[in-house]
Amino acid sequence: MSVFWASLGFGVVTASILAIAAVGFTLQFGATNIFNLAYGDVMSAAAFVGYLVTQAHLGLWAALLAGGAFGSVFSALLNRLVYAPFIRRGTRLFGMIIVSIAVSLMLANTMQAIWGANFYSLAIPPARPFRIGPFIFTTIQLVIIAIAIAAMAGVHLLLRHTRLGRAMRATANDATLARNCGIRTDLVVDVVWLLSGFLCGIGGVVLVANVTSFDYGTGGNFIILILTAAVLGGVGQPYGAMLGALVIGVASEVSAAIITPAYKELIAFVILVVVLLIRPQGILSEIAAQKEVVAA
Amino acid sequence: MSLAWQFYVSTLLIYVGVDIMAVWALNLQLGVAGVLNFAFIVFQAAGAYTAAVVTLGPASRTGFQHYVGGANWPFPLPVLAAAVVGAVLALVIGLFSLRRLRNDYQAIVMLVVSLIATLIATNDVGLVNGSNGLSLVPKPLASVLGVSPYGIQYQWFFVGVTAVICVLAYWFINRITSSPLGRSLRAMRDNEQVAAALGKNVLWLRLLAMMAGGAVAAASGAILVVLITAWSPSSWLFPETFSYLAAVIIGGSGNNLGAMLGALLVPVGFLEAARFMPSFGNPNLVGALQWIAVGALLLIFLWFWPRGVIPERRRRFPAGRSD
Repeated sequence: MSVFWASLGFGVVTASILAIAAVGFTLQFGATNIFNLAYGDVMSAAAFVGYLVTQAHLGLWAALLAGGAFGSVFSALLNRLVYAPFIRRGTRLFGMIIVSIAVSLMLANTMQAIWGANFYSLAIPPARPFRIGPFIFTTIQLVIIAIAIAAMAGVHLLLRHTRLGRAMRATANDATLARNCGIRTDLVVDVVWLLSGFLCGIGGVVLVANVTSFDYGTGGNFIILILTAAVLGGVGQPYGAMLGALVIGVASEVSAAIITPAYKELIAFVILVVVLLIRPQGILSEIAAQKEVVAA
Repeated sequence: MSLAWQFYVSTLLIYVGVDIMAVWALNLQLGVAGVLNFAFIVFQAAGAYTAAVVTLGPASRTGFQHYVGGANWPFPLPVLAAAVVGAVLALVIGLFSLRRLRNDYQAIVMLVVSLIATLIATNDVGLVNGSNGLSLVPKPLASVLGVSPYGIQYQWFFVGVTAVICVLAYWFINRITSSPLGRSLRAMRDNEQVAAALGKNVLWLRLLAMMAGGAVAAASGAILVVLITAWSPSSWLFPETFSYLAAVIIGGSGNNLGAMLGALLVPVGFLEAARFMPSFGNPNLVGALQWIAVGALLLIFLWFWPRGVIPERRRRFPAGRSD
């Protein structure tokens, strides 16, 4: 039984990291209809920024802020300088997926050129274990869970209770209509990329803070779990991404403990495939269902 | 030509044949039918594994490698077996990923399928020997010809075999793309709703393109495994799919000739050129720069020439005089 509780604890941590990353990913799709497959590589890049900050003995919080800021600016520029021009030029959905893969490949290999295929670790104080009920968490893990809860609450408050959030939801729902209603959708899109990029950057730093070492491909490998969580919830749906992250994170870690660690990602993928067979548009997906018409 | 050069050129020619077949297969799926098959490399891998296993002979329980379904089939059979396995695999994957999903979700599911396949091949050691992969795959027909399987005569002989299979693959793919079936596939790619409204069975068309492409891709894998005599999960990572994808787009999506040119430019030209570059910086630098260049080339093409070097021919049909 203790194995179960321990793995459930791990699952919550994985779900937290996944939620931070997947919500950012899904916001990007919601606002601009782009599957940004370079997202994981931006996470890696942010992790390296965080690594440099911890090397300068500034601590985890500074690393998180720096990683977040890097992710934010980089993502917004990526959209402004690469994705948006391609969309204006008439590149369609498939083309955009390929553009984002090309960007991903270039980013990953740029990092490989700079950092080599070596492994790095954040220079943060070793984690101390804490007992909370049946769970055992380290300090880092508690920080990660707290950040995830804060980020989710922040996204919720922003989307539901601010004018900006309303504008974001309107843009995600129907950009043309939103523009005709006087919403400055280009500005909203920029804000979405800054915000989602911030989540991306923080996601990158917490991802590598939770493991002993990372390399240039760590974020790129994580994109598949992000995609799984986002698609599971219905892509473009922040609440769906949160739900998807929780399901994927917990299911993969618990199955790793109970069945075999070799197949923990396989479980996540099988869940995705089964859910899509039953509900092809994902769990929460009114927006995604409408998007189909625009995208087709 | 010195012997070393002969070996290099003949090996390169076999690679060219393999890449051209693979690119034709992907072009059928992506360029003609519009299925963004991110799991493409899985079909080539499945073909290679199949061909390896059916030529290796039954696995001994005490041997150093474990796999299922060993047999000692003579030469053309492994390639055929690979093609059949490729087609069946395409049918299975297609049936659950192409059925009710939106196009972009299909692409994502394909990506996931590709990773599932790697996970299974790596972790299920009894299936195809896990991450160590299969090795010492015998070269076919060497004893029949009476030449050493590692000699230069055999190399040139195998260049010929590859060429013949390439021509067969072209004949097969061209039969599809230039037939009414090809027109249906293109109609579906350009406007799925209209094709469906005209009574085309869109799911079946997609599955057909997947299966035909899967069979050819698997055959290319069967040839590749004979050349390199070994096959493991690291032989078919995701970037391989990307290099074929780039080849199709840069060469000319939807055009067999263009796709062939793309195969010569990207997997052969670009990735082979690095062999002659002096190595500098850290040991991964040249490889990394190579992929950065492929990515940049793809972006440049998608921006300036999204239809590729040799664009798909605009097809004209005599305007509607009904008779």
